Amino acid sequence: MLVHYPGPWSPLLGRLALKEIPYQNPILVWTFVLVSCAALAIFAAITYHRAWGYLWREWLTSVDHKKIGVMYCLVGLVMFFRGFIDGVMMRTQQVMAVGPQSPGYLGALHGYLPPYHFGQIYSAHGTIMILFAITPILIGIMNIVVPLQVGARDMAYPYLNAVSFWLTASATALVMISLFVGDFSHAGWVGLSPLTELAYSPGVGVDYWIWAVQIGSVGTTLASINIIMTIIKLRAPGMTWTRMPIFCWTALSTSVVGLSSFPVFTAAVALLSLDRYAGTHFFTPGLGGNLMLYTDLFWIWGHPEVYYVILPAFGIISEIVPTFSEKPLFGYMTMAAASIAIGGVSWSVWLHHFFTMGAGPGVNSFFSIASMLVGIPTGVKVFNWAFTLYRGRIRFDLPMLWALGALVLLLTGGLSGMMLAMPAINYTVHNSVFVVAHFHNMLNVVGFAAIGGINFWFPKVFGFKLDERIGKRAFWFFSAGTVVLFGSMYALGFMGMPRRIDYIPFVSWRPLLMSEEAGIFLFLIAAYYMIKQMYVSIRDRAQHRVTGPDPWRTARSLEWLTHCPVPFYNFALLPHINSRDEWAWRRQNGLVNLRPDHYEDIHLPNNTFVPMLLGALAFGLGFGMVWRMYWLAGLSLLGIVVAVIARSFEPDSGHTIPGVRIREIEETLPEELDGMEPVADVAGGVVAFQARTAPRAPAQEP
Amino acid sequence: MPLHKGRHLRPLWLAAVAFLTGCAQKGYWLAHPKGAIARTEWHTTILDVAVMGSVVLVAGGLVAAFLWRYRVGGKSRSYDPTFTASLVIEVLVWGVPLMIVGYLSYFSVKSVFATNPYNPLAVRRAVAREARMNGAFTRRADPAGVNAIDPAAHPMRPLRVDVVTTDWQWVFIYPKQGIATVDELVVPVRVPVKFDLTSTTVVNDFFIPQLVGEIDIMPGMRTKQGMIASRTGSYHGYSDDFSGGGFSWMGFATRVTRPAHFKDWVRRVQSAKDHLTDTRFTRVAQPTINLAQKIRHFSHVQKGLFDHIIEQVMEGRVYRTPLAMTESMTKPMKVRLIK
Amino acid sequence: MSQEAYIKPAHAVLWQSHPPGHDVISTKTLGFWLYLLSDSMIVSSLFASYLVLNHRVNAAAGPTAGMVVHPVVAFFETVLLFSGILAYGFAMVGLKRGDKKAVLSGLASAIILAVGFLVIEGVDFAGLAGHGMVPERSGFLSAFYALVLYHGAHLVFAILWTLVMIVQVAREGFTENVVYRLLNLKLFWFFRKRFNNYTLPLIP
Repeated sequence: MLVHYPGPWSPLLGRLALKEIPYQNPILVWTFVLVSCAALAIFAAITYHRAWGYLWREWLTSVDHKKIGVMYCLVGLVMFFRGFIDGVMMRTQQVMAVGPQSPGYLGALHGYLPPYHFGQIYSAHGTIMILFAITPILIGIMNIVVPLQVGARDMAYPYLNAVSFWLTASATALVMISLFVGDFSHAGWVGLSPLTELAYSPGVGVDYWIWAVQIGSVGTTLASINIIMTIIKLRAPGMTWTRMPIFCWTALSTSVVGLSSFPVFTAAVALLSLDRYAGTHFFTPGLGGNLMLYTDLFWIWGHPEVYYVILPAFGIISEIVPTFSEKPLFGYMTMAAASIAIGGVSWSVWLHHFFTMGAGPGVNSFFSIASMLVGIPTGVKVFNWAFTLYRGRIRFDLPMLWALGALVLLLTGGLSGMMLAMPAINYTVHNSVFVVAHFHNMLNVVGFAAIGGINFWFPKVFGFKLDERIGKRAFWFFSAGTVVLFGSMYALGFMGMPRRIDYIPFVSWRPLLMSEEAGIFLFLIAAYYMIKQMYVSIRDRAQHRVTGPDPWRTARSLEWLTHCPVPFYNFALLPHINSRDEWAWRRQNGLVNLRPDHYEDIHLPNNTFVPMLLGALAFGLGFGMVWRMYWLAGLSLLGIVVAVIARSFEPDSGHTIPGVRIREIEETLPEELDGMEPVADVAGGVVAFQARTAPRAPAQEP
Repeated sequence: MPLHKGRHLRPLWLAAVAFLTGCAQKGYWLAHPKGAIARTEWHTTILDVAVMGSVVLVAGGLVAAFLWRYRVGGKSRSYDPTFTASLVIEVLVWGVPLMIVGYLSYFSVKSVFATNPYNPLAVRRAVAREARMNGAFTRRADPAGVNAIDPAAHPMRPLRVDVVTTDWQWVFIYPKQGIATVDELVVPVRVPVKFDLTSTTVVNDFFIPQLVGEIDIMPGMRTKQGMIASRTGSYHGYSDDFSGGGFSWMGFATRVTRPAHFKDWVRRVQSAKDHLTDTRFTRVAQPTINLAQKIRHFSHVQKGLFDHIIEQVMEGRVYRTPLAMTESMTKPMKVRLIK
Repeated sequence: MSQEAYIKPAHAVLWQSHPPGHDVISTKTLGFWLYLLSDSMIVSSLFASYLVLNHRVNAAAGPTAGMVVHPVVAFFETVLLFSGILAYGFAMVGLKRGDKKAVLSGLASAIILAVGFLVIEGVDFAGLAGHGMVPERSGFLSAFYALVLYHGAHLVFAILWTLVMIVQVAREGFTENVVYRLLNLKLFWFFRKRFNNYTLPLIP
């Protein structure tokens, strides 16, 4: 059954041997030294502060949706940094390796990266950025915000939520370890078929890719189920579908897309691994395989996946823009409809990723029109944001800047997207850097929105704001980098430059490549300011501390109706929803008192280490399969089954916090609402309120 | 005062201007098509950019204007938080994109048929135009039409070229002429060329930016492309879809010559000493990086070699890529290099 | 204005006076439905692969669909499978009555019938392998085996789960946790039936 591959194998270590550790390569050795130093420093710091117990109790075994969300974001941000460094390396290689006269270093003919190393870097960059950076950050934000916005104490399945996170974390660990033990895939984040077949990629790189994305996608599927169920089942009383915050609509749409598309990916990658491990012929060129089957299955997932990341980004923009325009979102119903429509259309456009495969004109026409249809709901969203600004009172706080940047990028990305949706144009730019520029443009929409969202909700979770001044510097450098880098890349697309080349055969492309390098340098400065922003904000958190529930003063939805930072039980008493923008409604009607007149017992789930154990076992399964240490893989699989069954026998009834205790906690929390300026609200016909003296209810009639 | 939107848009404007002026430069190959297909594709691009660009400008202008007018500290006193829905605006924001998409869809479908790789109308139209011009010329010279062109001898009969990609070279087979080349494509000007394409190993992508758009090349399968070049000259062709370590060097020289020169070239290649049989091809197809795109010529190409290559791959013949030529970091790169 | 009806702040209810009734069973079951949706996407991907690869070219001059499926064997397999599901259905009737014994015997007979199915399938596959009809032979056989073995894997998983449930029902009786698991397992068994239903017409 099992196939042969070149190279030795031993029962104990499988394909792994000492010589699989690339210690001859100075780049990897230095990376390893840096990473180990950083890891040692972190370990030492935790030990010095005796924080292991705290870490274990409060974070690693936690099932609290906010903490899991924060951990998701943390993993995503670390991987974002890793992917970014990959990007810097790629840009530098391309600017160095121009023309036959360009010198080569470190064993490369040109530049400093040999083709195979470059191949791994671009593949890791794509895989990491899409699956292990942007996706975890967005799931993290959804994890934090969705239960708060629907007025719940936690996700529908807190335990499953932790399992999803730890699966994602172990997949991420698999990607990271491929850096130092063995190789990563060189076949792109899409797993170019049949390049991923054993005959053309006999190393372990593709196996690393397979198991990392496989484990990660299981985690994401489970997370989607959780978010859908939270929205369907745990909405606070009074929160009808049309009173749900718009971010929840996008989270719902995106989770439906994720739930229905990730399994297709799972199937495609599973069949590919059968080809590689069991010698079947699903996607081989010969003996009855069909490589386009893989391409189809991949993109049936792949296209919905890109909407999986863009929809929450739209949701974030839709939350930020009204807040800083001091107006409700324009056209709420159409915005919700557009979100669902984008999710629906995402299923019928996958073929535009291979217009050049030689399909007939009828097929290409169909998918061309279907792809263009996406432009309609997206256009609706842009116009609705514009009309949200109309007759508003617009402030340019940091989250707003990021959201507006995303909006501008969405316009240019839409322009190039409509070009790519036309097969006749697509034929000329399909595999060129034009496509790369387009999807970086669009993923930057997601990136801008995600960073805006992090800045927006950061005080909600941690109780202090991120530094605005440094953050704005980061924003401007990031924007400038985006324009310079991807503007040049678009232009190179018109020069016909293919993507994924490590050596540039034409000297005429050099000026624009240098401009791209300048762009990545701007990104580097932006990254510096982002890290500095994080560092300074945490260092000076006392100065950045916010009081009261709403640090932005004009926020609208339900998550602002509780303290900053949010206590572990979210709401002392679950709110009853009276309006679409509940917090804005209460604020405008002078009902901002956070303290209910009585308290009740709160039931919460217990912490558990099982999700982490499952993550570790999943890592063992993946690592064992990559190196074909079948005993390790088998034991890990067995361990997973046993752990799941054992857990089902554990009567996990959770714990109850008595209402008296909640009252104690609540009374220690500040209830300062000062600094909240009276807001004249024409809508309710109700005038200003005095925050400090606001009575519980009812408010005085004007 | 907070920074406003207008300043942020400025780099975009500069980029747009740079793009428009830049396209006039020679390096922007897509903007300088030299064949009917590439020209149709570029015209479609211009149309699409014009239509979408105007929409984007309107939307962007709207956003910028609102941001400027309704900023805190601005002059506007018309704050109105009740303005949250409007039927007219809703109809407009759904209707206008719908109409634009409808309009572009029409052109999209039209251009799909014009550039359809298997039967490109653009090539047929170019041929017809050519024939009309020839016809007009003939009529002027020969008003009675006595010497009307004999269709059999007409130079418009398409030239057939079979394209095979290996790891990582191009093999062009001219079946009628019985010749083959490595990394060199020579075609006569204003003559339709029909390509049949296949790969021995992984997927590649055939692309000559100034002449014809991309078409995937797949192992064990046959794709097709058609083109017609309108200007003589040298052009660059290359693979556009990542195919492994030698991908960056997978280019081929493309020469468009006058028909007479083409005939000379064919005669020269026909006298090449190297013959391309199946066994010879297997050696050519071994993983090789042809660094300087060194051209090789073959004569006496085995009959039906192209179909034979496809069949063999379908029957399970695998041109393996050795471990040392793939993503391995620890094994030294052992690649056959042609310098 | 499409804004909803305006609630007078003076009469608004701001907080919930008592905690919401936590309907564990419906929450868990609906979530399991969503899982089944994702699983059916995997199944449909496999069906799609099978349909694509069930072609003369993809048989690579090897066996075709007609040669790998024996109608009589398939008939008996189906009978066993459906009887197993019926047995599980009887267990559910027992659950409704709160009859522990009926539930246990239903689950046990479901397991026995499922094992019978697996045995027949195993013998069948061993016979096929004896004739060289293994997954590595051709794209068609790969897709065929992937489809039926995925079904088989579901069955193995269902048997394992049912065993666990037998222990839990015997130990704990019908607690909330046990009941929702039994209901989810029912969905899982019936899901396999749908799976099988769609498989049959595909195989000539």
